[in-house]
This record gives sequence, structure tokens and C-alpha cells, in this order.
Amino acid sequence: MGLILKIAWRNIQRHRGKSLIIGAILFLGALIMTIGNGVISGMDKGLAANIVHSFTGDIVLVSDKQESDNVFLEFMGKAVEPINNFKAIKPILEQQDYVERVLPVGKNLAMVLNEDGGTPGNAFLIGTDFKRYNTMFPGRIEAIEGRMPKPGEKGALVPTGARDEFYDFTNIWFMPEGDTLHPDHLTAAAKKDRTALSMKTSVVLMGFNNDNTTTDIRLPIRGVVRYKALNKILGRFVLVDIESYRNCLGYFAAAEKTSAVSAADSALFSSNDENLDNMFSEKGLVVDNRQSGQKRPARQSGAVPTPASEVSSGSIDVDDGTYNLVLVLLKPGESLDKRTAELNKALADKKLDVRAITWKKAMGMIGSMASLIKAALFVFVMLLFFVAIIIIVNTLSMAALERTAEIGMMRAVGARKGFISTMFLGETAMLSAVFGGAGIAAGTIVIKIFQALHFTTTNDIVQLLYGGDTFCPLITGGDLVLALVQLTLVTLIAVIYPVQVARSITPLDAISRE
Amino acid sequence: MNIIEIKNLKKDYALGKTTVHAIRGIDLAIEKGTLMSIIGPSGSGKTTLLNVIGCIDNATEGSVTVGGSEITKLRDRQITDIRLHKIGFIFQTFNLIPVLSALENVEFPLLLIKKHSRLEVRKRAEKLMDEVGLLSLLKNKPAELSGGQRQRVAIARALVTNPDIVLADEPTANLDSVTGSQILDLMKEMNRIEQTTFIFSTHDHNVLKYAREVVKIKDGLIDNN
Repeated sequence: MGLILKIAWRNIQRHRGKSLIIGAILFLGALIMTIGNGVISGMDKGLAANIVHSFTGDIVLVSDKQESDNVFLEFMGKAVEPINNFKAIKPILEQQDYVERVLPVGKNLAMVLNEDGGTPGNAFLIGTDFKRYNTMFPGRIEAIEGRMPKPGEKGALVPTGARDEFYDFTNIWFMPEGDTLHPDHLTAAAKKDRTALSMKTSVVLMGFNNDNTTTDIRLPIRGVVRYKALNKILGRFVLVDIESYRNCLGYFAAAEKTSAVSAADSALFSSNDENLDNMFSEKGLVVDNRQSGQKRPARQSGAVPTPASEVSSGSIDVDDGTYNLVLVLLKPGESLDKRTAELNKALADKKLDVRAITWKKAMGMIGSMASLIKAALFVFVMLLFFVAIIIIVNTLSMAALERTAEIGMMRAVGARKGFISTMFLGETAMLSAVFGGAGIAAGTIVIKIFQALHFTTTNDIVQLLYGGDTFCPLITGGDLVLALVQLTLVTLIAVIYPVQVARSITPLDAISRE
Repeated sequence: MNIIEIKNLKKDYALGKTTVHAIRGIDLAIEKGTLMSIIGPSGSGKTTLLNVIGCIDNATEGSVTVGGSEITKLRDRQITDIRLHKIGFIFQTFNLIPVLSALENVEFPLLLIKKHSRLEVRKRAEKLMDEVGLLSLLKNKPAELSGGQRQRVAIARALVTNPDIVLADEPTANLDSVTGSQILDLMKEMNRIEQTTFIFSTHDHNVLKYAREVVKIKDGLIDNN
């Protein structure tokens, strides 16, 4: 092997021009690949950090009846199935030592009614307890208008993205109660309509119940918020207090379980009177139902618009009501896939009718975007390497033919074909190691420089590419291994044909050439 | 004892639609330790005969036995091993590996054999470089040597594995007469010292005095006249 490497190395030096061409190609390929992988890894990590720690947690529990795992971003899909047994799920989660925090939420679509008579809009609602939300995702949203709701307060937090979208559909500019217009926050279209701008400080949401009925609620807007990162994606979701959410969607509200039942209503339940008029004589159906203390199935009709201010905000246990998702944040360093599997087993053992999915699945395309872009980059790099392979194959084949006399002589004095193959492979491997290695090293340095420069952006689209508000490419051990594997592949593929050419050279070819 | 036995050797080449009969039926037996010259005009078939004996070219017909092995029936790997272990080559023009020094070129076949220690290889190569008078040029690359010096290195390399046979195809063709004589003197001397069979081809009748045996070839056949 020493002899082969010696000959290979000296041949590289002897044919400097060709070696430099091949080396430059390998260097550039490795450099682009390393930087690309670093950018994607950074994006992957950034997306994970910003989505996991702002919005989804690591693991999302969904009902076993839920068909699609894409529970957050399936825009035209079915409603997310309800979870009615969070109180039974909670202790199981608390028993798992890898679980850091838990947040049950409601998530579904509602229509934003246009009180001016125009086109309505749509809103993804996240029903949550604001205090809990803040504990789960501390400091991830900031109110740019109005304020964050007080503990137990009813209302909605409208992200800027959702507000802009509402305006596009409804021509209504939503703003927080008690706040003034911030002209600099207006969209271009809203600025044009400034003089006749319709402004509202509350939003009327129409929720779709599972029996094709609807429930309208009016909610005061407490604040217009912005996610600190990925506001373009996450800013589509309107945060509303969980009880209002449940009322809107026709779910069990926690208050229903704790409502007092009057003696008259109690008597009504025990009545054997078959005259139904007695039952519907005075109060609205919904109110009666809610005061009954009877549990209604989730997503059952509750078809009377209910102002949020009328919903009880007394001392209730919000976990008595219905949720759609349970967000689970793992402790730092925990393996997502491993813990998801473990949690699924624990939940299945207790027959809780929910399953755990990773945040990536729950976020659909966005969750797998980094992987998709990484795959696209991989294909791009492989195309680059394909071109590189063609050039290297051509150059090495020419080199083999030019060295017919030398190779033929080696064969004449007893070198086997294997020796010739190894010699060529050795030359290409050395070029790969030196130039490809230099490319990887240079790529790593470039990534470190980018990390140090700490580029930040507030642009939503760029944030998506950055995976957050800061451009922070990252080179991982996996990326380095991938780069080495790709280089090895390129080397092996590029050397196959030239080796065949070299192996086919006989001593007679050398003599004939002379 | 015959080191080489050739029976009814024929070699044809396809040249477009024409077939060239380079060797038309040669029978030849060569004794071990001889110094034989194969002479004949250009195109007579002497190089082809050397190539077939040296396992560089295949016979079209007939049998060739080298050191007890019938080479016409062997596969490439076995043929290569015969070239490595039993035959040494000295070529007319293409001689040495350009990226290796003179000494490393001589060591090359021994390193391919992989049976000797690095020290043994070095000693054997230096001994032969000494015998061919190039001890002072061990580290020189082929490009730094004259034509005669390169042929000396080639002779040392051909002998380094202690082969049964050394084949030299017109080893003096590209050399001036003085250098050519020196090379032939050297081959004669090495034949005496190493007891190796030397077969060289030439079309120069002046070099016949160096050979103990002469085979004359004409039109692909041995000319018995």
C-alpha cells in the first residue's frame, strides 16, 4: 500500500494541472454541500426551537379518533377531534419524568362574521388559558397594541398576520379595546381606505358545531400580538380564552359542570309533564342546557350567540371542559422519537383514547419543511457532483490513456490489474481527502463566521428560511458524516470508468503506442 | 534443460480486413542460462516472438512453455504472475516509472512480490544498481538519467527478482554505438554472474558477437540458413 500511495501522490504532483482541476471541483462541491447542510441544519434547529418553544411543544396529544396528524395546518381539513378526558391524561403526563410542561388547548376553525355586512373571514382559534399559555411559552408573544389578558379574563389576542388577513376579507380593521389606531401598523390596503376605515374592538366568531349548527360569540380584543419568531406562520392563529372557545365551538365548557341549578329547573327535570311547552316557555335553549348541569356530548349544538362578557369567569376548573390538543414540552436533550413512543405506550396502557405525535407531524408541511429543503439541497448537491463526476471521469480517463506507457510497463513487469485499480483509486482518494477535506473545513469556517455575524431579520419570509429571527447555520456531526459519505461516493463513482480504462491497458498497448 | 519450448507457434494480426501472419509456425527450444540473440530485418516477427515468450501477447496457434508452464492456456492473473516471477523485461523505449527514482524503479518488482522485507528489497536493489554501475545515481528520477543509464536501470530491474529469463527487445536501438556496446557488455556480464537466460532481439548484425546463440527470423519463420 505504501508503494501505491507513493506512486499516487507523486503522480498527483506530476500532473498538477489535472489534479488542480479535479481538486477544485471537489473543493467547491464539498464547500457548497457543507454550507448548504449547515444552513439547513440551522433552519431545522431554528424551526424546531421556535415552533416547539412558541407554539406546539415537542409532542402533541390528539384524540384517537383524529384521522390526520396535521392538526395545526390542515386548512381545509376536518375539525380536530375533541379530547374530553384531560383530567385523566394529566396525571399520566405528570408521571413521565421527561416531561417539562403541559398545556391543553382547543384548536379549530371559526368564521369571523362581518358586522358591516361584507364578506366574512376565517380564523384558526387556539383556545387556551392565557396564564398557562404564558407559563408554557414564556415571552414568545408580545402585544404590539393593547395588552395581554389578565388572569381569567375573557377575550381574544389577534396576531398581526390574522388581523391583516381579516382585513383582506372583511375590510374591518380589528384593534384592541381601549386602544387607538396605530397608523403605522396598517397594511397598504388599509392605508388606502384610511378615511373610511371600519374599525372594531371586538370580534364576532361563528363556530361550527358537529350537528351542522353554529354558535356565535362576541369577544373583546385584548391585544394585537406578534410572535417573536415565525410570526408569518404562527400569526394565523387567534388566541382566545378557553371557555369562550368552548362556547363558540359548542364544546363542554368547564363552567357548565360547576353551574348552580335552580330549584325550579331541578323540578323541571323531575317533571313527568309531557307538555313540552313548559320546558321552553321562558328561557333560551342554550342557557337552559348550560344551567342544567348535564354533560352534553362534545361539539353538540349550542346555537345562541353569547357575548363573552356574559360567560361566567368565576372560580372554575377549566380542565373539566373539552380540549382538542395537549401540548407537551420535553425536558432539554430528550429524544423526541423515543419519548413519543414511550408516551404512546403509557397512554395506550391506560386506554385514554389519545395518541402522541411529534410536533413535526402536527405542523404538517412546516414541520417537514427543513427535511424537504434538505432533500432538495441534497439533490442539488448531487447534481453538482454529477457534473463534477463527469468532469473528473473525463480528466482521469484522459490521464489514464496518457499514461499508457507507464501503466503498460507496470503490467509488463508484473503489476496485476488490482494494483493499477488501487493506484488510480488512491490518487482520486487523495485528491478527495485533500481538496474535499479542505472544502468541508472551509465550509465549516464559513458557517462559524455566519454564526459570529449573528444576522437578524424581522421579515417573515426570511425568518422562515432562517428558522427564526437569527441566521444561525449549524454544522452537526451528522452533516460532517453526510459530507464524507457524499465525497466517498463521488470518489468511487468518478473512478470506476477511469479504472476500467487503466485496467484494460496491456503491455502490448504500451508497446504499440511506442 | 530447456527453459523455453515453442511448438508450431503462429501469430496472426488483423489489420483492417487483412490478416497479417506475423509468425507462421516456429519451433524453438532455449536452454537455461543461454545468451541468445534473435535477429532479423524489421517486420520479420522477432518482437512478436519475444512478446509471446514474455507473456505480453497471445499465440494464435501452437504452444509455448516457459519455465514449465504452458502459457497459452493461462488466465490474465496467472500470466501476470509469470511475468513477475519468471521473466524480466528490458524495452526499447518505454522503460521506467517516471515518478520513482532509479533505485525505487529497481525495487518495484520486488515490492510487488511482497515476500521480502523492506531492508532486503533495498539491499538487493542497491546491489544490482552497483553491478550496473549506477550506485551514485540511486535517487535520480528517470528524467535525470541518460538513455544508457535508463537502460542500465532497466537491466537492474529486470534482474532484481532473479527471473529465469530476461527478454530485451532491441535494447540498443535508441542508443549510440558506444553506449549500446556497454549495455550489451553489461548483459553478457550479468548473464555470467546471475546465470540468467538472456534473449535479446536486434536487427544490428554488429551485436551478434555478444550472443552465444543466434536465431535468425525471416517472414515469421526461423531461417535455418
